[in-house]
Amino acid sequence: MDAVTYPDEKVAAFVQNDLIPLRVAFDHKPLAFDFNVKWTPTLITLDADGKEHHRTVGFLGPEELIPSLLLGIGKSHFENERFSEAIAVFDRLLKDYPKSKSAPEAMYLRGVARYKNTHDAKPLREAYDKLAAEYPSSEWTHRAYPYRLIN
Amino acid sequence: MATKVNWETEWGKALSRAKSEGKTVLLDFFNPG
Repeated sequence: MDAVTYPDEKVAAFVQNDLIPLRVAFDHKPLAFDFNVKWTPTLITLDADGKEHHRTVGFLGPEELIPSLLLGIGKSHFENERFSEAIAVFDRLLKDYPKSKSAPEAMYLRGVARYKNTHDAKPLREAYDKLAAEYPSSEWTHRAYPYRLIN
Repeated sequence: MATKVNWETEWGKALSRAKSEGKTVLLDFFNPG
């Protein structure tokens, strides 16, 4: 990550501007134990209370790190029930990184967040339709499969 | 001048900044080698 990903200008600007970057050694006490870290790099997105919302293990290149971190930011909003903020972050991810590995999960969660925000089930159906069209082999398309029945 | 990631190294300071700046924390466990 230090050789390729973090020196990337776009990555560095994103991490510096959109996150609070915190770095500790893999054997840090007590954090490595508290977060059950077994391998490096382990990247975890946390809310301001220190609660975990997203984790990746292993190398990510510049083209995948930013969308993965956006997914983490969006999930932090989503799981704290800030659905409008979550939708805005998922929209950004899907607009800027539609081909990334994080995009299908963002599309799924955007549909759920829109449903939670409005109590209208149509966004769930729309999420399935878009997932089926754009990411037909994704596990998130499979998870959204029941929503095809919503009218 | 190129942007560089300025890492926090203290848990408490990072969370305090996250609260005051309304941001998410990226916690990176790394191998210093």
